[in-house]
Amino acid sequence: MATRIQFENNCEVGVFSKLTNAYCLVAIGGSENFYSTFESELADVIPVVKTSIGGTRIIGRLCVGNKNGLLLPHTTTDQELQHLRNCLPDQVVVQRIDERLSALGNCISCNDHVALTHPDLDKATEELIADVLGVEVFRQTIAGNILVGSYCAFSNRGGLVHPHTSIEDLDELSTLLQVPLVAGTVNRGSEVIAAGMTVNDWTAFCGSDTTATELSVIESVFKLREGQPTAIVDDMRKSLIDSYV
Amino acid sequence: METVQADFAFFDPKPSDFHGVRLLLKTYLDSKPWDLTGFVDLILEQTTVGTVVKMAEDEEDGNDGEANGSDGGDNEDLFGLITVLNLGRYGENRCIKDLKDYLLGVCGDKDTKKKLRALLEEKASTVGLLVCRRFVNFPYEMVPKMYDSLFDEVSWATEDEPTQELQDSFRFKQYLLVVRIFERKTPPKQKSKGNKDIDEPVIYSKLEDEIFRELSSWSFTFPIRAEQSAQQELKNYREMGLVMCVKAEAIPKFCKKLEALVSE
Repeated sequence: MATRIQFENNCEVGVFSKLTNAYCLVAIGGSENFYSTFESELADVIPVVKTSIGGTRIIGRLCVGNKNGLLLPHTTTDQELQHLRNCLPDQVVVQRIDERLSALGNCISCNDHVALTHPDLDKATEELIADVLGVEVFRQTIAGNILVGSYCAFSNRGGLVHPHTSIEDLDELSTLLQVPLVAGTVNRGSEVIAAGMTVNDWTAFCGSDTTATELSVIESVFKLREGQPTAIVDDMRKSLIDSYV
Repeated sequence: METVQADFAFFDPKPSDFHGVRLLLKTYLDSKPWDLTGFVDLILEQTTVGTVVKMAEDEEDGNDGEANGSDGGDNEDLFGLITVLNLGRYGENRCIKDLKDYLLGVCGDKDTKKKLRALLEEKASTVGLLVCRRFVNFPYEMVPKMYDSLFDEVSWATEDEPTQELQDSFRFKQYLLVVRIFERKTPPKQKSKGNKDIDEPVIYSKLEDEIFRELSSWSFTFPIRAEQSAQQELKNYREMGLVMCVKAEAIPKFCKKLEALVSE
């Protein structure tokens, strides 16, 4: 199921949150509505933790994580680091790293098995990502953009990438990631996919400007719809076939 | 220091300006959710009155067969917006209802609230909500031109609109403005030598708002609940909202004073 929400009239929900299969981070502020929407969807399954990073609310763009770990930029304060270590499950390794490109969420995109990174990332960082997050790391660009963390969002079941990604690139990325990919938009035509939404294997949160078409593409590629695959195919068939000859 | 040559141009609002306009209006009202998207759509639909400021289009870029979709992605950066919306004409739109409720909610003083309510209800069809939003470093040389172009478009609309009703909807008697200012929190410090702190009681983010306030029939301020700016120079200041009602007759005086201010 995909839910539409906003943070203080801001549809960039992927900026103010970070969702994985093991935990969810939410920025402080933005009226209790933001936090409680996450809580009501996730409460019994994974912890929802309010936090700041480096005193800022743009936590989704500064950190990167999956069920194995969470990587934080060098701007993270000691208190924030301790708070996260306390609140997240023990099996999640929380690590602060010294990478010049400190907006880790913009530079790195990952699921529980694979990570795509900014081509100029430090070699040491690449090793840390492989180590802490337990993933295979690939340096990539998306539709010519080096900020791979901003222009794609993928889970273990599917992914959404920048709308101008070519078919060849889509195929190549899909092979690397081993998940189906679709080129699309979020928040009424925004190309910055990861800023506009956040997703894990069973749920997604998108900005409230996301159109019904965009939402249905998201629910379909990330396999979020309840029900059998045949139900989805029948659904699509109705909209595709105009008349039977 | 490097100088950059930039050419700006004024355009009528169009649907592809959605993201740029939304970005400029994100902090128009406070952090409480309201129909911002509807408000943006409303502004974009009114193409006869309203201007967006973008970089002037390069001849070469326009014809590039870019894979950038129909609108030529490059020109999405909006630097400024100015428009005026008739509160009566759009009174049934959810965004205008949200806005009216919000303003009535934040107005503290009873007497001012009465005047505000009259403006938003009985007199709404003669009231124009004047919206001017721009980036902080927007060159001041263009500001008088923005206002001139708006008031010109308003006066042309009173003749050019297709129906009498629409023409009348642009004969505004008053303008309502919702802007942001900074008010000093702490009492003024003793001026010591080398004290570089700003000491004004009020700082206007947009200089012309000070002129509007001088010429306004009434105005009121209200506190902003969203996160305050972390700028060092503004640490003694608190961001406030300012609502002003300016009579249409005062506009020519405003334009003159604005021109004088900018040419200083």
